[in-house]
Amino acid sequence: MMSWDYLFIQSANGAVIGVIYALIAVGVTLIFSILKIVNFAHGDLYMLGGYCAYYVITLFGVPPLAAMFVSMMALFVLAIILERTLLTPLYSDATERKDEYGLIVTFGLAFFLRNMAIIVFGPFPLKPPSFVPGVVRIGNLIVTNDRLFAGVVGIALILALLYFMQRTIWGQALDAVSQSRESAAIVGINTQRFNSFAFGVGAALAAAAGALIAPIFSLAPDMGVLPNIQAYVIVILGGMGSVVGSILAGVVLGETESLFTAFLPDATRALAYTNAFGVLVLMAVLIFRPTGLFGRRHLRME
Amino acid sequence: MRGLHVYILLAVAAVALACVDQLNSYWMHVAIIAMFYGILAASWSLLAGYAGLFSLGHMAFASVGGYTSALLVKWYGIPIPLGMAAGIAMCCLLGGVVGWVCLRMSGPYLAIFTLGFAEIIRITFSTEDDVTAGMAGLHTEPLFHTVSRLPYFYTSFALLAASLAIMGWIVRSRWGLFLRAIREDEQAAAASGIAVARFRILVFAIASGFAGLAGVFYAHYIPILTPSLGGLDLMAVLVVMTVIGGMERLPTAVGGAFAVEFLLELLREYGQWRLPIFGVILLVTMRFARNGLLTPIWLRFVRLGEPRSAAPPVARDAGQEDSRA
Repeated sequence: MMSWDYLFIQSANGAVIGVIYALIAVGVTLIFSILKIVNFAHGDLYMLGGYCAYYVITLFGVPPLAAMFVSMMALFVLAIILERTLLTPLYSDATERKDEYGLIVTFGLAFFLRNMAIIVFGPFPLKPPSFVPGVVRIGNLIVTNDRLFAGVVGIALILALLYFMQRTIWGQALDAVSQSRESAAIVGINTQRFNSFAFGVGAALAAAAGALIAPIFSLAPDMGVLPNIQAYVIVILGGMGSVVGSILAGVVLGETESLFTAFLPDATRALAYTNAFGVLVLMAVLIFRPTGLFGRRHLRME
Repeated sequence: MRGLHVYILLAVAAVALACVDQLNSYWMHVAIIAMFYGILAASWSLLAGYAGLFSLGHMAFASVGGYTSALLVKWYGIPIPLGMAAGIAMCCLLGGVVGWVCLRMSGPYLAIFTLGFAEIIRITFSTEDDVTAGMAGLHTEPLFHTVSRLPYFYTSFALLAASLAIMGWIVRSRWGLFLRAIREDEQAAAASGIAVARFRILVFAIASGFAGLAGVFYAHYIPILTPSLGGLDLMAVLVVMTVIGGMERLPTAVGGAFAVEFLLELLREYGQWRLPIFGVILLVTMRFARNGLLTPIWLRFVRLGEPRSAAPPVARDAGQEDSRA
């Protein structure tokens, strides 16, 4: 029989992973609510963010936390460039079937970025130095500092985003654009600018997640594939466009996955099926409650 | 002379069949794989291009078909053609079920759902390794016990030709019109009396059946079958092929598959750079020539035999294609 300690460690790990997932998913939600597309390249922006932080640390000797912010800035700029060059047809009335356009373009972008990463960064996993080396002991419980750090910084970033979305004028403008593009334009909001901005912020959050996760797992060109799917699980579970829903769903998914692994007797099989479990939840939610558990009605995708 | 392009295509096909034994084994393999992708690209274009159902689970259906057939042959010792038929039937059935389940989903939701479906299939096949041999690969029974690849070439050629004939007949019939109507506006299509639900399920079943056909052929051609056949990487390659060629017509989709497969082999010396380059070509195609790079060539080719003074090209096309053609 398994011990309570193991269960606690698993749930602590699950919470941290959940926060990281939430960070990625919040970006997907933000981009969806403004641009009305599902970003299939989000996992690859997360991967780029991780590598960017790695190279800033190893080449310039910048401390890890600062490197995370550098990486966020870099991805913010890169995302805006990508959005300007690739996604502008989404805002033109001449484009038919924008759903399809957004889908194929972001899917193609993901394909491009992933294969570019294999060439530029190499196929082998890389591991950046720890944020804070060492472990924390609470009784019999051992959690590495990196996991703790990732969890805390992740929560701080999400809180900052929530504050930004609800208390600042820019955040409220973003919300306005998500509710009605026309009305927002009428009250004088430059909606084009907010398209770029939302895409940039989403990418920056993914970059932060990538930089935070890098010392825990390793960096690899295909590291974005699974978190990308998990982000959809979260976003659909939490409701498209709902930031709070994403955060809750992220932690729930992280926890269930960890505990699922802990409870199944066959360890290798459990590990393989954890990912399938998330996808199963996703499919079930899509079938039975397409608006998600905390969905906002105006953001339902038709 | 109307229909000149049909005769030209038939002549090219006849020459190809006659001269194929001149090819060395390597290029014959490339041609067979190109035809395998051709079936997949055509059926995916039926699903995504004609009906607008952007499924990311198409390779997963090929993988389901391949594994069904290979496992039945391996564990129950049934004849290979029977196993292949079972694989195709399995894909039709599963495709119908998936089509039914995601009736209410559109656009990105459908893509995410089918992506999830593909992941579950891949994870299951690689985890249940006591049945499927997992990532190590399942040794499959070859279709022909010959050294030469010639029988495989003829088989794949016949399969591609038959698939194109059936799918071409579908898209030229009223059904093709219904599918395009559903793609453009589901509610308007329903209001005009099209049974949207029935056709969405039907097209899913048919397209998945063809994916299964490609899969069962692949399973009994390549002696080792791995779960990565249904993975996201190959799905991305399929999307690249179909979109670059032109996803809204069957011939351009197949042409895209042929072109990309042959270019991938020709440019082998560039190694890993090939895939990102095709990624860029895909993005440029979507941004500036959304109908696909081969579509203008195909349209010109179709009009070859017609007198120059005929009605303006757009008018002839308008009945068949949407206004953007």
